[in-house]
Amino acid sequence: MEAFENIHLDLSKAAGKCRFAETGLGWRPAGHQETWTLDGRDIRQAQWSRAARGYEVKIYTRAGAVIQLDGFQHEDFDRLSKVFKIWYSVNLEHREHALRGWNWGKAEFGKAELAFNVQSRPAFEIPYSEVSNTNLAGKNEVSVEFSTAQEQPDKANTAGNIDLNQKKRGKKTTVAADQLVEMRFYIPGTALSKKEKKVKEEEEM
Amino acid sequence: NINGTEEKKFKRFESYKRDNQFPTKIDSLQILVDPKASTVILPIMGRPVPFHIHTIKNASTTPEGDMTFLRINFLSPGQGVGRKDEQPFEDPQAHFVRSLTFRSKDIDRMDRISQQITELKKEAVRREQEKKQMED
Repeated sequence: MEAFENIHLDLSKAAGKCRFAETGLGWRPAGHQETWTLDGRDIRQAQWSRAARGYEVKIYTRAGAVIQLDGFQHEDFDRLSKVFKIWYSVNLEHREHALRGWNWGKAEFGKAELAFNVQSRPAFEIPYSEVSNTNLAGKNEVSVEFSTAQEQPDKANTAGNIDLNQKKRGKKTTVAADQLVEMRFYIPGTALSKKEKKVKEEEEM
Repeated sequence: NINGTEEKKFKRFESYKRDNQFPTKIDSLQILVDPKASTVILPIMGRPVPFHIHTIKNASTTPEGDMTFLRINFLSPGQGVGRKDEQPFEDPQAHFVRSLTFRSKDIDRMDRISQQITELKKEAVRREQEKKQMED
């Protein structure tokens, strides 16, 4: 058994204890009875990277979910790497993020999330579960909207909006003080202008 | 140059080289302005994401009920009024983050961040112009 204190699950306000055992892992916020658990066999991929709150272990499950555990210390990596390797037969990959401060790159659609890559390094990732709506907002402009707290009952005072046993969609940003609500991308060549459309239609006729 | 018109060139810039250069306050998961690095750090899914002031067009807040929306617009192709206004881009065929909107109950802090971004932008523009004058 390996245990880590002051860990947050999916950006929860409340910190808790994260325990790793041979069969899987668990997380419980302080003063809570219930424990969130994940079977080790459900882990498809795991990544280690710098987060806002210390370091983050990101787990991609076989079911397509993205689980984020943050608040780890830099020196926890060795212990965690062994845990994943020996117990779950998964490599804890080191993933470095882009720090250049650029707003251009490549939006790439992965299995479970959208990554915005700057010179082959992700600047950020958006799990699809957090997206509530997308729109073609204009020519070459795509808007991505995120779930907001209003759409969900206010449970922020319990475990930081975390439903322990049933993972709800779109809750990662709802508890943040500064909540991301919309993102717009400029994607060249995704939409045809009216003229282009007309030409294309005529060609097809 | 030959036509007598001034050609704008793209100049490279970088916010940080290593993650230990981030201000320690990023752990608050709040928007931060780091004037030393001419950078605004935005929390996106728990990640501190730097955006250099040179990528930012403007920032503004809109109050709505007990919340304030902070919208940050970034420079991206196809936004200039005329050809002359078009900013140079390193790779106009790339994908661009065009805007990010956050909301918060902390209205005062949102207004402050918006002002800080505006100031930082002004300062960056002023410095660019000074440099240009020196070159001329």
